[in-house]
Amino acid sequence: MREAGDLLRVENLVTRFKSVERGKWVTAVDDVSIRLAPGEMVGLVGESGCGKSTLGRSIVGLERPQSGRILLDGVDLSSLRGRELREKRRAIQYVFQDPYASLNDRQTIGETLTEALIIIGVKDREAQRRRIHTLLDQVGLPDALAERYPRELSGGQRQRVAIARSLAVEPRVLICDEPVSALDLSIRAQVMNLFLTLHKDLGVACLFIAHDLALVRQATSRTYVMYLGKIVEDASSAELYARPSHPYTQALLGSIPSADPRVEAHREPPPIFGDIPSPTNPPSGCRFRTRCPRAMEVCASHPPARLALAPDHHASCVIAAELYAHSHPAPHRLPMPA
Amino acid sequence: MTSTNILQVSHLCVDLYTTRAALRPVDDVSYEVAAGETLAIVGESGSGKTVLNFAPLGLMPTGVVTDLSGSILFDGQQLVGLSEPALRRIRGGKIGTIFQDPMSALNPALRIGRQIAEVAELHLGMTSSQAEARALDLLKLVRMSDPEARLRQYPHELSGGLRQRAMIAIAIAAEPKLLIADEPTTALDVTVQAQIIGLLKDLQRRLNTAIVLITHDMGVVASIAARVAVMYAGRLAEYGSVEEVLLTPRHPYTSGLIAALPSVDDAPGSPFRGLPGTPPVLGAPLPGCAFAPRCPQVIDICARRYPPLAGGAGTAAVACHVVNARQSKEQAHA
Amino acid sequence: MRRLRDLFQALAQLPRLAFLAVGLFVLLGVLAPWLAPYDPNAQDLLAAHADPSWQHWLGTDHLGRDTLSRLIVSARTSLVGMSLVLLIALSVGITIGTVAGYRRGWVEEVLMRIVDVGLAMPSLIVALAVIGIFGTGYWNMILALALAWWPGSARISRAVAVGVMNRPHIESLRVLGASPGRIYFHHLLPSTIGAVLVYATADAGAVALSIATLSFLGLGIQPPTPEWGQMLVDALPYLESAPWQVILPGLVLTLVVIGFNLLGESIALNRVPTPLPRRILLKRRAVAAGWKKAAP
Repeated sequence: MREAGDLLRVENLVTRFKSVERGKWVTAVDDVSIRLAPGEMVGLVGESGCGKSTLGRSIVGLERPQSGRILLDGVDLSSLRGRELREKRRAIQYVFQDPYASLNDRQTIGETLTEALIIIGVKDREAQRRRIHTLLDQVGLPDALAERYPRELSGGQRQRVAIARSLAVEPRVLICDEPVSALDLSIRAQVMNLFLTLHKDLGVACLFIAHDLALVRQATSRTYVMYLGKIVEDASSAELYARPSHPYTQALLGSIPSADPRVEAHREPPPIFGDIPSPTNPPSGCRFRTRCPRAMEVCASHPPARLALAPDHHASCVIAAELYAHSHPAPHRLPMPA
Repeated sequence: MTSTNILQVSHLCVDLYTTRAALRPVDDVSYEVAAGETLAIVGESGSGKTVLNFAPLGLMPTGVVTDLSGSILFDGQQLVGLSEPALRRIRGGKIGTIFQDPMSALNPALRIGRQIAEVAELHLGMTSSQAEARALDLLKLVRMSDPEARLRQYPHELSGGLRQRAMIAIAIAAEPKLLIADEPTTALDVTVQAQIIGLLKDLQRRLNTAIVLITHDMGVVASIAARVAVMYAGRLAEYGSVEEVLLTPRHPYTSGLIAALPSVDDAPGSPFRGLPGTPPVLGAPLPGCAFAPRCPQVIDICARRYPPLAGGAGTAAVACHVVNARQSKEQAHA
Repeated sequence: MRRLRDLFQALAQLPRLAFLAVGLFVLLGVLAPWLAPYDPNAQDLLAAHADPSWQHWLGTDHLGRDTLSRLIVSARTSLVGMSLVLLIALSVGITIGTVAGYRRGWVEEVLMRIVDVGLAMPSLIVALAVIGIFGTGYWNMILALALAWWPGSARISRAVAVGVMNRPHIESLRVLGASPGRIYFHHLLPSTIGAVLVYATADAGAVALSIATLSFLGLGIQPPTPEWGQMLVDALPYLESAPWQVILPGLVLTLVVIGFNLLGESIALNRVPTPLPRRILLKRRAVAAGWKKAAP
């Protein structure tokens, strides 16, 4: 554990919402701990409703966690208030999924970026102009775009503008919530490459929240898998995809259809049952047991412990060690063009 | 061959008028679907793939008017120029539809059972009790757990996957010959997606329904479709069997899309492959090839004349000047 | 069938008429001193109860005052009164609503319960009670009506503000570390005011009606300031001999109220898609006709 060197650490975070049913609570994030080293690209994958977005939103302060700590450079953010908190937390920025809603349609691109600069105290007009030029350049947009309104831009361009706005405050962590899933297929690679470039050039750490496993595998060095509010497995991306050791991770990877019809003709979908249960009333013990093909009696009574399978590989499953031992690189688990 | 085709679309053009503009989202598109076969229509947003399928059925939002030209033969009946009441009898009857977002397609105020029964009453002329019994059978057919209880539930009480199953049950309630599914799994998670695709394949086998699947996911295409039509800016770029199109793509757009899929051989942190530029915004039909500004193989003629869809035996039909010129040269050599 | 369609088409034109009625009302109100042919308070007992003539287009009342001039100047009274009431009510309502929508939590709970109490009482009763306590008078009437009207705008403002606060572009400002003042004054307030003003349009008619009602009861605008409700009550004793003098102010008031209601409704329904008008369809078809059709 390189705990001392961690840039961002989330410890035992719990975020709950009031349920539509009166008096009930939905625990969207339940006792989650994750960490990000400086300049690290980390993935967070899971199905919709598993709490991955809530976790990201809690980290940047858009949701108020019930308990747990968020540490930036070892400083507990919950110990700060008001202006001090805003200035410290600014180092963590958030990229929204929908580039159509995340920009104010009444502001030009230039005004949007200028506002971000004013917020961090860049008041000089000339300095603002120079910085906007640099920012647009960094995200690969022409200067002329500063005069335009968001409605005149394509989805990919808007997402670049949203990224430029985050960069304006010189963040050290970007939390990207499904940043390309609203974009067209042929545009996704362009935006993903932008993240890779920013990571390389500026050393920004990224937490990549996504449901597209193939995308996360290629973009990140480490991946967390989340299910119903809990982290069920985490490992380096290469290892996680090669040796998934939680039944849920295995099911996820096994469910991705290959783009090769010859492979698809013989592929059996993994034996996983039904849908993700309601987080209002999660199953006792292991949360995955209701859909798990390997569920046993013990799974219902005790929540599984987080087992270390390798120095950087953990899974919360009673048979994780067995799955780890039997797992081996599966060549056809990811979409593979001929 | 023609006799077994349940759907035969030839030279279909759709002109679409809104308060803001006139556009042509579908321009000279031809394809066919055989009974019990699945055709996947692949394209990005704005490629016209949704208009292509829903404008002929009269399913366009208020304030949008469409003019169709060309021909759509469905089960021996010409759909172009058909009146709204006649279309209404076909919609939900011989043609079932599945939408991306089941929550907005289902009536939130009606129980699932009632919504399925309604279709059976309307199109099969069943009595209320017969239709209720059929609704239960259909829920069993789409493999809903605890079907008796589901009949009495409202859409909001179901999870995304169960809603999509209910939607499928409604779509097949009148035993349609053709099922049009618009991104049926896009809003679903990958584990649920696998189940829904399995279900669609199973239903197709049992009911011999033809399926037109609109999607942008090549994995979904590979797992269910027999044939693929790739759309770009309102025109077909490539059209052929799933093996031809996915394994040996010939149109630069198709090959670019397929090459862009992340593969297991890509090292973590390595750059993503993609296409340069952005897809065009729909408007008046372009004189040349719409893909020309993004195409790595572009030649002079591409900007001036749009390439017709042409294909040889054993390969997919491709609308590309470069590919087709190469092909005719090879044929001349042979 | 055809006649029915004509009827529907006529109904579709209504918002335009409403816009005309409201526009005329505002224009008359603003330009009243210059438009009124006579001094609205100039009495001419010799010409009392005159029928419409070239001199007095709409006749005169029981004191020989020119009815047309009084109707026009009344529009000004009504417009000014209405604007003051709405200005005060909206300022209070939007402030409370946006603060509740911004802060959420217990602040919102407390403020909204106060609003609930205000909403529970009919507005006219509140106004009557206030005037009963503080006495009649112009400003007392304005304040009484404002007091009756702010809870409604507070409730709408809060709903709008909560929606605005949840939009990703406001959330992204929070993530950027924008100060509460910037978010509130630069983004939340302008967006909320815009949306709430739309709702206020529909309310304007009801406020105009309330002013007339209070004046009719002798609790609002006091003589000699001309006002529609007051004109009505002045002319009432002579209903049989000069019915027009009663009908005219009532008719004008009705038109204004309907005008505001229809206008408010049509603005609120602006977002609902309507069928493409024939005129535009023909224009679009003409554009498409110029395109080369693919040879079938």
